[in-house]
Amino acid sequence: MKRQKKGLAAALALGGSMLLVVTGCTAAGDSGDGADGGDGVITIGVLSTSEGNLAFGMDEAMAAIGVSMEARGGTADGGEIAGQQVEFVYAGTDGTTASAQTQVRRLVENEDVDIVFGPVSGDEGETVVQYALTVPEVTFVNGSASPVSMTLEGAENFFRFHGDSAMWMGGLGNYAFEEKGYESIYLLAEDYSFPYDNAGGFFAEFCAAGGTITGSSWVPVGTTDYATIISQIPAETDAVYVGLGGADAASFLSQAVTNNVAKPLVGGTIAVDITALSGDANIASAAAGMISGGPVPGEGYDNPVWADFVEAYSTQPNAFPSPSIFSILYYTAFESLVLGLEAADGDLSDNQSAFRSELASLTWDSPTGPITMDSNRQAVVDNFLTEVIEGEDGSLVLNTIESASGVAQGTTVYDRFDTCADIG
Amino acid sequence: MADRSVLFAPQPTGVSRWLPWAIVSVVMLLVLIFPFIVDRPRFWLPNIGVQSIWLGIIAMSLVFLNRYVGLLSLAQVTVAGISAYGVGYMVVTLQQDFVLGALVGIVVGTFSAFVIALIAARTKAIYFLMITLAIGQVFFSWASQAIEVTGASRGLAPIRRPDWGVIDLNDITTFYYFAVAVGVFCYVLCRYVAGSTFGLALEGVRDSPERMKALGYNVNAYRVAATTFAGFIASIGGILIVLDRAQVDPNVVSLGATLDVLVVAVIGGIGSLGGVFVGALVLTLLSNFAQGLTEQYMTLTGIVFILILLFAPAGLAGIGQQVKRLISRRRRSATDSDESSQDPSAAQPTEHAITEGNKR
Repeated sequence: MKRQKKGLAAALALGGSMLLVVTGCTAAGDSGDGADGGDGVITIGVLSTSEGNLAFGMDEAMAAIGVSMEARGGTADGGEIAGQQVEFVYAGTDGTTASAQTQVRRLVENEDVDIVFGPVSGDEGETVVQYALTVPEVTFVNGSASPVSMTLEGAENFFRFHGDSAMWMGGLGNYAFEEKGYESIYLLAEDYSFPYDNAGGFFAEFCAAGGTITGSSWVPVGTTDYATIISQIPAETDAVYVGLGGADAASFLSQAVTNNVAKPLVGGTIAVDITALSGDANIASAAAGMISGGPVPGEGYDNPVWADFVEAYSTQPNAFPSPSIFSILYYTAFESLVLGLEAADGDLSDNQSAFRSELASLTWDSPTGPITMDSNRQAVVDNFLTEVIEGEDGSLVLNTIESASGVAQGTTVYDRFDTCADIG
Repeated sequence: MADRSVLFAPQPTGVSRWLPWAIVSVVMLLVLIFPFIVDRPRFWLPNIGVQSIWLGIIAMSLVFLNRYVGLLSLAQVTVAGISAYGVGYMVVTLQQDFVLGALVGIVVGTFSAFVIALIAARTKAIYFLMITLAIGQVFFSWASQAIEVTGASRGLAPIRRPDWGVIDLNDITTFYYFAVAVGVFCYVLCRYVAGSTFGLALEGVRDSPERMKALGYNVNAYRVAATTFAGFIASIGGILIVLDRAQVDPNVVSLGATLDVLVVAVIGGIGSLGGVFVGALVLTLLSNFAQGLTEQYMTLTGIVFILILLFAPAGLAGIGQQVKRLISRRRRSATDSDESSQDPSAAQPTEHAITEGNKR
């Protein structure tokens, strides 16, 4: 018993010492005082993923910021906007809500950032919005998180400059039913908020057009074995909806080839990644013909702003051969943030009212088309329907089928569903 | 049953008698004035203070089971999560008062620990560990899928902190002191139970279950009771999680969260009820500040963990004993080199549940 008491005493002593040390280390002066603190420095906290299956998110976020800042003589480490010095504090997450909550709190409450920029994933986004409601003095500009609900929570300090994941599928349901002639589709998707909305956006339209869902499988992120699911796909199904991303999508496509799945595919927004799909000849054959919807245009998209962005992106450290959806969304959002700051002359006084007012009424031509804002601080954007086709040299190419202008947000927040009646 | 070396150890005198209490007093004083010595209370109180406390409480339930029953349970985070889901379901889904939700959460969490104990109590050592880990993962999968109950990956939110008039938990200082009070309550309760006849019987079950059976004790009943009690403590930790995070989702019961609590227990000292709070403080500081030191922050966290295991194998709470042994060994070697390596009162440097379990 005595031994335990002394051990406890030592532990408590050490803990106390650590508290003193760490509190002493951060006492007065090492934080980034915001522009409203009067020192002319605007501190922007950047949330992105640096661990897990989206670990490349931080590199893509830095590339996007780099493109925007270099156009103004700065870098991804900082620079000047509207005569104000801008500094960045980068906070990496692992894509989970717990990690996002820890890091966004650190940015706001310890680093004293003026603006939070991010996060990446849907679940993180919903957590960050809940937090934004509790800190009305800080402005939040979304990175690439796309659940529908984020801009419907009433957070006056939260802005999103790209479409939500239901908007991204706008038009694809009708196209699948009417143009492709699919009347019944099997639903396979990952089990988290992004695919709920993404699939919801597609099937709401598809079901309304007269289509049916022949079955559903919601799988955990990271699922690698799809043999059982493939065996459940009914023979009379016209097509399979693949709401998977990254390695999960590649695993499914590979096994679809092995198991002779002859059904055409409808891809969720992040299922179609040409770079990933082109790496394996087997996968390529399965992916050809897949239709999808999203904010990224296909080959031959004729927009000089897009061409400039792609060129500037290619010079960034750790850039992919072509911009990923994450870098595109982060760039669109960050450039919007910068334009808002410039329009407000870098004025963050009065609870950032001038800056927010400029953000709420921002209009500009982004690389993927014109952006305007609705009353919920949600962007009205262009959207693209694409199809994976085989190019002349046999490589896969993402071809734009249609583009829709001025796509606005709906008000339906989707949860997991299994039939058309569930989303009716 | 009892440690003979402790029974016959010389009674502390002089400095060694009052020093531990002096240190405890100083640290408790620091804990109490913590809100007034940090430069950013809004950050430090919830993100470091409260988080360390709920992590420590859950780890303490794990340490209680290991220290007094010899069982290493990896389901303590699950129990805390079930309690948190209980609150979330009552408050978000059924729109009930937070206090009622908290009571339901604690009851549901404690009952789940009882059920887990019924399943796992007949095993010990690595088998108990594996069964509790498996149960935790089963619950994680269920929580990720059961959208009608748990909200699946979206979870249940928002869960606002209550305002009881005199005690408004939306005030961060009040919330911090509330968490401190809960942490002290859990610690005192664990010590009280450990020192009771029930606690002594648990140590008997830990050290020699066969003898206890021969004496007429129902060994499994004691294990179930201890696991249920530890579940009660973990459930209280679950209520603090909800208050801190304002939501509950499958991350709360994920494998990563389970490993965090295990790391906290090992860093603090797997045999020390109070040391867990130091372990929790270390992990919380690392998760908040390691990124500011290096881009390879996960590696840094791993290195700190390895260094602590290498140089303080009994955890940070065992450092005091290590220093004491070192000093006494040097003193002895100065007076009697022949007896330098024969110290009957020396404590084992490591309390390792798996190997201890195998020995038993």
